[in-house]
Order: sequence, then C-alpha cells, then structure tokens
Amino acid sequence: MKKSPQQRKLERLLQSSKFSASGFMGTDRRGLWEIIDEDAAEIAKRGKTMEEVAARMQQLTDLAEQGLGDWIQVSKNLHVAVDDNRGMIPCPWPHRVRCMKRITTARHIPSNTGVRWSDLNIHLIKEHGFFEGKGSPFRIEPGVLIDIIFSKD
Amino acid sequence: MVPLFIALAIISGIGALLAATLVFAERVISNYGDVEVDINKGNKKLAMKGGGSLLETLTAQKIFIPSACGGRGTCGYCKVKVLEGAGPLLPTEEPYMDAEERSSGVRLSCQVKLRNDLKIELPAELLTIKEYVSVCEEIIDYTYDTKQFRLRLTDGQHMKYTPGQYVQVLAPQYEKSSEEVYRAYSISSDPADQAAIELIIRRVPDGICTTYLFDYLKVGDKVRINGPYGQFYLRDTTAPIIFIAGGSGIAPMKCILHNMKNTNNDRRAVFFFGIRTTKDLFLAEEMTRFETQLAQFKFVPVVSQPEPGAEWAGVTGRVTHIAEDYLRKQGNAHEHEGYLCGSPGMIESSIGILKKLGITEDKIYYDKFS
Ligand SMILES: Cc1cc2nc3c(=O)[nH]c(=O)nc-3n(C[C@H](O)[C@H](O)[C@H](O)COP(=O)(O)OP(=O)(O)OC[C@H]3O[C@@H](n4cnc5c(N)ncnc54)[C@H](O)[C@@H]3O)c2cc1C
Ligand code: FES
Ligand SMILES: [Zn+2]
Repeated sequence: MKKSPQQRKLERLLQSSKFSASGFMGTDRRGLWEIIDEDAAEIAKRGKTMEEVAARMQQLTDLAEQGLGDWIQVSKNLHVAVDDNRGMIPCPWPHRVRCMKRITTARHIPSNTGVRWSDLNIHLIKEHGFFEGKGSPFRIEPGVLIDIIFSKD
Repeated sequence: MVPLFIALAIISGIGALLAATLVFAERVISNYGDVEVDINKGNKKLAMKGGGSLLETLTAQKIFIPSACGGRGTCGYCKVKVLEGAGPLLPTEEPYMDAEERSSGVRLSCQVKLRNDLKIELPAELLTIKEYVSVCEEIIDYTYDTKQFRLRLTDGQHMKYTPGQYVQVLAPQYEKSSEEVYRAYSISSDPADQAAIELIIRRVPDGICTTYLFDYLKVGDKVRINGPYGQFYLRDTTAPIIFIAGGSGIAPMKCILHNMKNTNNDRRAVFFFGIRTTKDLFLAEEMTRFETQLAQFKFVPVVSQPEPGAEWAGVTGRVTHIAEDYLRKQGNAHEHEGYLCGSPGMIESSIGILKKLGITEDKIYYDKFS
C-alpha cells in the first residue's frame, strides 16, 4: 500500500532520536502500520482490547505511584513500583500530548519475569495501538505484557 | 490539429512559468525585510531580518527561552508575552494557553513568525541568562545510578546565580541521539565559587542526556550550558524551614545550605532526605557537617525500604510521613516555609501534607517540572 506523505513524515519522526534515544522504531525492519497490525492481532488473540490493556497499565501505575518508588504488592504474585523522573516527553504523533518521564515496573514473582513501561507507552497503546518497534528500549511485547499484568494469583 | 510535441512544449512552458512564479512569490512574500523586536517597553531593542520564529530569533541573539521540543510546538515551554504585532493565536498554540494567558497575549514563541515589528515582555531574569562553555573537571560516583559532575567555566567566566537555581545542559549529537537536546539540572555546589558549578545527576533509563553524561562524557570534555533559571531559592524571611527532597533533589538544597553557611544564616531548618534503600544514600557526611556549621540545622535521612540485612540505624519510613510527624510535634507547623525538590509524586504528596498542616501555598516552593 502506498504511504501518504503524513505517514512517511510520522515514520521519519519515529525513527529520529529527537525525543527518545534510539527512536521509537528500534531496529525493526517492518513499517509502522505492519507493527501496529501485528501487535493488534496478538492482543485480539489474547481476548483483550487496546483499551483494556492501557486501562490495566494505568491502574497499576496509579497503584505503584502511592509507593513513591517503593515496591507495592498488588496481589500475591504481582509487585509494581514507579521510578518518577522530572520532566515531560511529548508524543511523536502530531497532536499536543505530553507525558511524565515516569517508569512503572511490574514483576511477576513466581515466573521471575518483569515488564516496564513509561507513561508515554500507555498513551501510545491507548491512542495509537503502538507498542514500538523491536529493538527500541521501550518496546513492549504484547503477549509478555498481558501475561504479567493480567496474571491470576 | 496541434502536433503532440508542441502541446507538450506549451504544457511544460506553462509548468515552468508557474514554478518560477511560485519561487518568485515565495521570495517576495517570505522576505519580511528588517524588523524590530522591542523588549520590555524599550529596555532592549533588537533589529534583525524577519521570517524566522520569535524563538529562533531570540536564541540567535543569545536570549534563551526555555524549550524542550526543538520548536515543534509540542512542549509548551517557550511562552512569551507579546504585546503587539504577533497576529491572532494559532490553533497550534491554543491547547497550551489558559484563559488568563490568552487575554494577556501570551504566545508560544516557536510558533510566532517575525513578519513585522513586535513588542514583547520578558521576565527580567530571562535577560540575564547566558550561554557558557565549560570543561568537565571531575566526575564522582555517588551511588550506582547517581553521579556528580563538576564543570569549570572557560575563559575565566563566572556565573551569577541565586542558590537553588538550575542550568540547562546541552547533550550534543552522539551515537544514541542524532539531535542536540537541552535538559535542566539544579546547581549543587558552593556558590562562593562561581567559576565552576557542580550538578548531581541521576541516570534515567534510556534517557538521551543522562546516557550521554554517564556513558560518553569524559573529564576534559567541553560541555555547553546556559542559565541560570528558576524561582526556587531561599526566601529572605525568618520563618523556620522544612526542606524535603528525594534522590537528586538534594542538589539545590545543598547549594542553599552552602549559602546559609557562607552568610551565617541562623534560621531553624530541618532537611528530610528520602531514599529507598541504604545504597541510595549519599552526601550524608557533608550534610551532617552542616549541622555543626549552621546554628540550627538538622539533617534527617529517611530510608523507605532498607534492603534485607542492611545495617540501618536511622529513620525508616516514607519521607513525607516522617516530615509530617515532625511538623505535627512542632506545634507551629503553619509558620514554616516548605522547600521541596524531587520526583513529581513526592512533591505532590508533600504539598498535600504541608497544606493540611496549615502552611499556605505561597510558602511552599519547588521547581515546576512541566
Ligand atoms: C527544573 C528541573 C530541574 C532538574 N534538576 C535535575 C537534577 O538536579 N538532577 C537530575 O538528575 N535531574 C534533574 N532534572 C531532570 C532532567 O532535566 C531530565 O529530565 C532527566 O535527567 C532526564 O533526561 P534524559 O534526557 O536523560 O531523559 P529523556 O530522554 O528526556 O527521557 C527518558 C524517559 O522518557 C521516556 N521515554 C523515552 N523514550 C521513550 C520511548 N521510546 N517510549 C516510551 N517512553 C520513552 C521514558 O520515561 C524514559 O525514561 C530536572 C528537571 C527540571 C525540569
Ligand atoms: S519550543 Fe516547545 S512549544 Fe515552543
Ligand atoms: Zn499521541
């Protein structure tokens, strides 16, 4: 499919390091829309929607925030903490959204696995269905994310 | 019938003519000639070529307006009051303005094009901001994720700043970033020496500037900075002081404490310094030394989650709760001035507590991070 000039401009911006060291696309050779489509398929396969995933991430971030950096036990097996940094980072899409440079880490104790996201990741997933390109430091694997944040005790 | 090649020639001719007209029009229309920017009612007048953005133009004249998005109109930092000549507010600016800003002519300077003479108003302190070239003189590891950088200004320059203020550090293009970025860092050093500044910086995961400073900058390298900025400084009163800081938020407090020592300031002051584990504690000795150098100063490091097996005999708990307990016991909580520096979450929580204890908002000071 032929890309519109706006799509090409957005992809260029996502590859640049203006806002994010190494950009948002990482080393992924796929195009933006391919990444979005493949991740959307994975989310659907797991029986979730982007809204549900983003809402759960936000809920965990809000819980973790109460710890001001300390680990908070959400359930027997799930612990979360925030690393709150001063400053804001803008969304690369052409609209006026800025997010705090706050990182939430979720740890699933029995499997010893973890996942981290920034406030911008929540926005990117909720509004743009974008989990970032492979190789980006903030790429989130949708399957791993769902396993951890929706884990049952 | 007109032969095909003649038709093609006519079409190409028309195309070329149109293109030439467009280029000509672009040159004429975008040639705004010389324009004048009047700053603070004639206090300073700049004559320059029109066409660029107000932000670019001021930066070229070494007037540094805060900016965090490189003029894309997405950070909202570059606000300037334009009294005359800027035309109507653009749709790109609207989301960043509240009603008061709209009515008083505040604009995003990166979105305002210099097409004609402008009259603008800048806070006086912005006019004192300068750019400096410094050399990284020393890097000290404080903890696993926090370092102190000492930058000596070159050419015998001095930076006049008020203790508590911050500078912007330029991270140049490097392997991980194809763009230059500026980031804000509070000055932590003793203001008695204004030929060098120290910054206490915590590594932010995959951050552009902190990755540069931690992994690429070496002693002897040049660092471009500008400043000073900010309204976070010790007010000249006799009110008792409560400092609350977390992690690298200790930086401006340290600078203020040095200054209190230099000026024999004998105000009552207590500093609650919050860290998560004992591994996050640094500068404890220097802070304890201030207890002997200042008439009425107490330093209280507070560890929230001491790691198992750590020998920690000090205070344990959430720094905001410990500060709250202390103030309650004082009986005169409402008389205090609150000075806060740290993560947005810690600041928000501290403000809530101080207000609950009767300290009014105008006596609570912190750097707004957004
Ligand atoms: C007034 C003021 C004073 C300050 N003083 C100090 C100080 O004294 N000491 C100090 O250490 N700091 C201080 N700071 C913070 C400092 O200015 C920087 O914001 C901080 O160092 C991070 O900068 P960075 O370039 O390393 O990170 P950035 O690159 O700006 O941001 C990195 C963060 O952005 C998010 N992010 C980046 N890329 C992505 C992506 N692809 N997907 C999702 N999320 C992403 C993540 O949260 C990541 O951790 C101060 C800030 C202000 C406003
Ligand atoms: S510089 Fe970011 S909005 Fe103007
Ligand atoms: Zn967005």
